[in-house]
Amino acid sequence: MAEVRLKQVRKAYGATVAVHGVDLDIRDGEFVVFLGPSGCGKSTTLRMVAGLEEITTGTVEIGGRDVTRLEPKDRNIAMVFQNYALYPHKTIYENLAFGLRMRRMDKAEIDRRVRSASVMLGLDPYLERKPKQLSGGQMQRVALGRALVRDPDVFLLDEPLSNLDAKLRVRMREEIARLHQEVGTSMIYVTHDQVEAMTLANRILIMRDGHVQQVGAPLEVYDRPANLFVAGFIGSPEMNLVEGHVSGRTVRCGDLQVGLPPDVEAGEGSAVVLGIRPEHVGVAESPGARPFQVSVIEQLGAQTLCIGEVDGVRLRVLMDRSDAISHGTTLPVQFRPDRLHVFLKETGARLNRAGAREGQRPAA
Amino acid sequence: MSSKATIYSFLFLGLAVTALLIVAPVVYAVSLSFYQMDSFVGAPRWVGLDNYARMLSQWIFWRALINGFIYAFGTIIFQVVLGIGFALVLNQVFPGRNIVRGLSILPYLLPTVVVVLTFKWMVDGSIGVLTQVIAALGLPPVQWFESPGAAMASVILVSVWMWTPFVTTTFLAALQTVPSSLYEAAKVDGTNAVQRFFHITLPMLKPILTVIVLLRAVWMFNKFDVIWLLTQGGPVGATEHLAILSYKQAFGQFDIGGGAAVATISFAILSVAVFIYFRLFPLDTE
Repeated sequence: MAEVRLKQVRKAYGATVAVHGVDLDIRDGEFVVFLGPSGCGKSTTLRMVAGLEEITTGTVEIGGRDVTRLEPKDRNIAMVFQNYALYPHKTIYENLAFGLRMRRMDKAEIDRRVRSASVMLGLDPYLERKPKQLSGGQMQRVALGRALVRDPDVFLLDEPLSNLDAKLRVRMREEIARLHQEVGTSMIYVTHDQVEAMTLANRILIMRDGHVQQVGAPLEVYDRPANLFVAGFIGSPEMNLVEGHVSGRTVRCGDLQVGLPPDVEAGEGSAVVLGIRPEHVGVAESPGARPFQVSVIEQLGAQTLCIGEVDGVRLRVLMDRSDAISHGTTLPVQFRPDRLHVFLKETGARLNRAGAREGQRPAA
Repeated sequence: MSSKATIYSFLFLGLAVTALLIVAPVVYAVSLSFYQMDSFVGAPRWVGLDNYARMLSQWIFWRALINGFIYAFGTIIFQVVLGIGFALVLNQVFPGRNIVRGLSILPYLLPTVVVVLTFKWMVDGSIGVLTQVIAALGLPPVQWFESPGAAMASVILVSVWMWTPFVTTTFLAALQTVPSSLYEAAKVDGTNAVQRFFHITLPMLKPILTVIVLLRAVWMFNKFDVIWLLTQGGPVGATEHLAILSYKQAFGQFDIGGGAAVATISFAILSVAVFIYFRLFPLDTE
């Protein structure tokens, strides 16, 4: 086990810069998820930690040791690949043992580790099979097992669940979380799936176009998205983002007028973007409630998602399950200023000082 | 026409073409081996297995068989080893890679007679570039086509020169299908480049290697043009293998039955070898 430190890690392919200087300290045993859309540089950053991509500038330290110029085999890392990368001509046992054999480990110790990992991952019945005789989930478990037997300083997982179907993905997500709890080794996990990030991570690093957008605990990035991109990227259903102008202590978005959160300072007439999570739109009769006309209803089971318009502004509203709503229904909605996010339209920077959660203290 | 009728009509056409172009000539050639004939116009005389007994009792047959194995094994080993080596080099990223890849296939595109004549000029006793190089190095001159060992080396060398590009291209194509993540996983697992070749590349190339060795073996065992153009089987039979012997017997000695018997034995040896090969190296190894 070890801490991992990235200092201004940058990757350039000729004139094209893929990763613009990442700084990150990962604590011993921490689970950090690199999250972002395709092409944002998250996998490249992970591969630089692994030693599979050369680092253009900057340094990577693992366990206090500068590994920037070391080969992958000398970094004491283990990696799980998106397509499993199991050796198709070797049995599952040989796949699990290969990394240890290459390190000239004692045969009895190899056997002990392989048996132990296969029990932990439920792979015992498949040890003599070849990878193509296994299902996707089993192959992914072998890939995890191959990393596990190595007892590395850090686990690197590159979109390990992307090739699995939705149901299996949920199950494997739980297994990875359990595995992390059991082994307690630092893990870096790359995904574009925010649900995986939110459920697995101790901290999430969100990237876009090679730039780090925000690093924080899952609820922290949910409650206090650092900018417009993070606000739109984190949360499902997606946050409502409505353009408007500051007028006194309100934001005018067309005919809709919403009170500014108390912790937002913005100049008169500033162009801003209002962020309202669908679950933070209040649906109740109250003074000042506005009529929301429903045009699309999505029943999610426990909740109902309505899409419609209020004062000419299109919104998504998430509420407890309601069977009575139909197309054309008008609902009274209101916006609590302390649950609104305000971003400067020009830069996308967040203007709130506090989070959008009730009773949250302003950020230091 | 119903779909079944369409299927049968295609099947029939396929079978008819196969029968006409493959089965009939084979049957005719095999049938010739049971007759005594000194030309294709005279009346053949049935001799049963006499031609086989006669050819098998001659030492030139056994010499041709051994020469055939030496030539086939020699060319296959060099073609496969060099082919994999070149493919690994051409699979690397370097400036001008596409041009070099294109150039590497050139020898395969040349007609055999051009390659053979080029080689003959290269080893010409007075103006040959190889002769000059050998002389410049202070080495004794090589009797390329006069000494038995050098003649066999010449036919192997020219065959390797000409057909290695085919092997290279095939392996290069196969290398593109090996997922890069396997190499990356092996790097993380602690392998060096040599270990990656033996643990990843070679096993992943095994299916294609199986087919290539088989194809090259069949082709080289039957190869006629290179040897005929270079040495005509000489000197004193040193490069004469079964295909050359069969031709010489049929059209040089006017012993068509004997030539057909040699060709039939060669065909039978190859058939048995292919059968054993597939038993030893089944294509579907999983």
